[in-house]
Amino acid sequence: MSILVGYLPTPVGEAAVVAGIAEARLRGEELLVVNSVREGALVDAAAASQEDLARIRSRAAEAGIALTLLDSSHRDDLAEEILGLAIKHDVSLIVIGLRQRSQVGKFIMGSHAQRILLQADRPVLAVKAGTRG
Amino acid sequence: MKHKAKGAATETAPGPGGTAAASGAAAGVSGPQGGTDVEAVADEELTPEELAARWEEDAAPPAGPQANFWASLVTLAIGIAAMVLSVQLDLGTPAEPRPGMWPFLVSLVIAVLSVTQLVVGRRGGRDGEKFSKLSWLAAVGFATLLALVALMPLLGFEIPAVLLCFVWMKILGGESWRSSILYSLIIVAAFYAIFILGLQTTIPHLF
Amino acid sequence: MDSLQPVLDGFGVVLDPTNLLYCLIGVVIGMLIGVLPGLGPAATIAILLPLTYGVEPVTAIIMLAGIFYGAQYGGTITSVLLRLPGEASSVVTVFDGYVMAKQGRAGTALGIAAIGSFIGGTVSIIGLTFLAPVVAGFALDFGPPEYTALALLGILLVATISGGSKIKALIAAAFGLLLATTGRDIFTGAERFTFGNLGMADGIDFVPIAMGLFGVGEILYNLEERHRAAAVPVKVANVWPSRADLKQSTGAIGRGSVLGFFLGILPGGGATISSMAAYAVEKKRAKDPSRFGRGAVEGVAGPETANNAAATSSFIPLLTLGIPANATMAIIFGALLIQGVTPGPQLIANDPELFWGVVNSMYIGNILLLIMAIPLVGVFVRILRVRGAILAPITALITLLGSYTIRNSMFDVLLVVIFGAVGYLMKKFGFEPGPLVLAFVLGSLLESNLRRSLLVLGGDVGGFFTRPISATLLVIFVVVALWPMVKAAFDRRKSSRHETSDNQEVKENA
Repeated sequence: MSILVGYLPTPVGEAAVVAGIAEARLRGEELLVVNSVREGALVDAAAASQEDLARIRSRAAEAGIALTLLDSSHRDDLAEEILGLAIKHDVSLIVIGLRQRSQVGKFIMGSHAQRILLQADRPVLAVKAGTRG
Repeated sequence: MKHKAKGAATETAPGPGGTAAASGAAAGVSGPQGGTDVEAVADEELTPEELAARWEEDAAPPAGPQANFWASLVTLAIGIAAMVLSVQLDLGTPAEPRPGMWPFLVSLVIAVLSVTQLVVGRRGGRDGEKFSKLSWLAAVGFATLLALVALMPLLGFEIPAVLLCFVWMKILGGESWRSSILYSLIIVAAFYAIFILGLQTTIPHLF
Repeated sequence: MDSLQPVLDGFGVVLDPTNLLYCLIGVVIGMLIGVLPGLGPAATIAILLPLTYGVEPVTAIIMLAGIFYGAQYGGTITSVLLRLPGEASSVVTVFDGYVMAKQGRAGTALGIAAIGSFIGGTVSIIGLTFLAPVVAGFALDFGPPEYTALALLGILLVATISGGSKIKALIAAAFGLLLATTGRDIFTGAERFTFGNLGMADGIDFVPIAMGLFGVGEILYNLEERHRAAAVPVKVANVWPSRADLKQSTGAIGRGSVLGFFLGILPGGGATISSMAAYAVEKKRAKDPSRFGRGAVEGVAGPETANNAAATSSFIPLLTLGIPANATMAIIFGALLIQGVTPGPQLIANDPELFWGVVNSMYIGNILLLIMAIPLVGVFVRILRVRGAILAPITALITLLGSYTIRNSMFDVLLVVIFGAVGYLMKKFGFEPGPLVLAFVLGSLLESNLRRSLLVLGGDVGGFFTRPISATLLVIFVVVALWPMVKAAFDRRKSSRHETSDNQEVKENA
């Protein structure tokens, strides 16, 4: 069994990874980290650099977790991508980062996290930035 | 990767010759929807040959012998038709060339080269690209452009342009409903400001 | 060259505020589309042709030229920071430039590319300044037969040196010649291939063809974009190359300038071939070739210098002989024709302000490039974040609405769309659109010169071969045309000889 973490190179994403590692240790499961990049542009702020990925690998190694980095991209729907991966790998838990947003902000701009929370068929752990692991 | 596409319009890059196998690196090429998951690879150490080979892999497959056959047939038909029409325009003699002479020579060249290409390219080659499922996107794009041309005299450019932007972003580009509608309106508003208010051109407009 | 006066007057033209502004606009747009995937300088120049209607010829060409050599540098940015060449002429820069960036030397790579581009461009302009009047003076003695042979050779070279199927490129060129015959025949007034359509009576206009084939065609082609993974661009930390880097690159820059200058003059040559040749030369000359592909600064300096030098020198055949050296030059040729300027040997004499204005603008343009190169990188990287799905309809609308403004004619817009489809299909089936446009712009001039030649020679085609210049050109034409077949025959004989000797070996060892 494994845990899926949706990663972005932001404080929220880092917090998700930290939480994911902690959960993996608790449950004794494998960790899957996915950084899904949006197709269509050459540059994407959400894309993780090699340094980011290296940092994640070393953290996982320190904690003694088995880690797999998933390489993926999506056209428009990040939520669907993550949920699809969760089903495909039959994970026991999804870990995502949650940004602080007002209710109005969420309405206008939408939220991938919200859709994942509402549509997931398995437990979801939503983590805020700055949370201790 | 389509980086070669740009160069092809002006000067094509003679394909980087390279070794066929890309060592070690697992290439993650995914389809139009969703992604495949492959181990994130440390592919920083690809040598130029491997890089060129990777680009070659990622490039579209060549058009193939059937495409060559039909294309050559079409150009042959055009060449022959033009030859016939040119003869009707009166060829004249080398000393006194008439309007039909030059078109006749040119269309003769087209016809002869088409036959040559039919033979030479019968086993396909490395040129062209096969049509894929994604080619429908180009067809839809073309159709919307025609629709714009048809509707512009009737409705002005604003509404057809908004529709075109929306279709291109939502259907061809996979953007969300929200983004597509929002950006379409903003873009056409900007065009209105620039073309109608700013440059004062006489493009047919409704508002 | 009688005096330096016209050259100096040219600077006066350039320093005119409008011209300076258009030079700046051209260089910035050029860099931008060099960075952005999907549109190249030819397509952009085609799309912006309607802009040239409202300004002076000099101003228009200054801007279009700026787009052309600006794009050579723009493509370098994505090569170095993202390992993706933005232009075909920046492909080789990826090999060492990206590695340098990964080593933390992105600024060095970009800086050397900018400096090399500047020097290469400047050397090329100086070469142009001295060579162009000589060539033009020589060509003033050309009669119709010489011009006919030259135009034919030019078309053949451009069609055959491009990659891909040469026969298909020639078919495309011939088709361009055919399209040029539509409309009224200048000599006799007869209507050709108009099919009774009034819109076709004056022939097909150049601008819709160029905008359609290159502009819309490219846009439709890019709609079919396959999966493209976004990457994280390498951060540009250090700003400028060190003195040691500069010293190491001087040789490469010098060689690149000369190589690019000469390869750019050749029709069909150009920036792409120059950059590849420069890379090969540097690698061969290096005392330690294994450095290449691992961050050798010469691997960036040489090609980048060469491609800018070539982009500049490719103006020479256009401005002195009236023969475009590549598709982009063909479009600029068309732009000049729209303005009522016929490029050719008489251009320097008849319109020195235009000629020297354009040439000298390239100095200014190269300086602007050098100044803006590094500071604008951050802006361009941010612009790269805009998704293609949003850029595509914008460029489509610019093209279509722009094409309407030429003659306030929906028919033009329709032509643009139709030729867009033609351009797309041509690409898919392996026909180059470049030779078509090139042959199209040269078509009517070629035909009128051919007919005039026949009248002058009294119908005696052999007369082409008695005149020394046209004879030489036609012989070269025949050699270039037949070369592929000769080569193929040679290769077949060689391989069959190998087979028989292999068979003999097998028999002996059996």
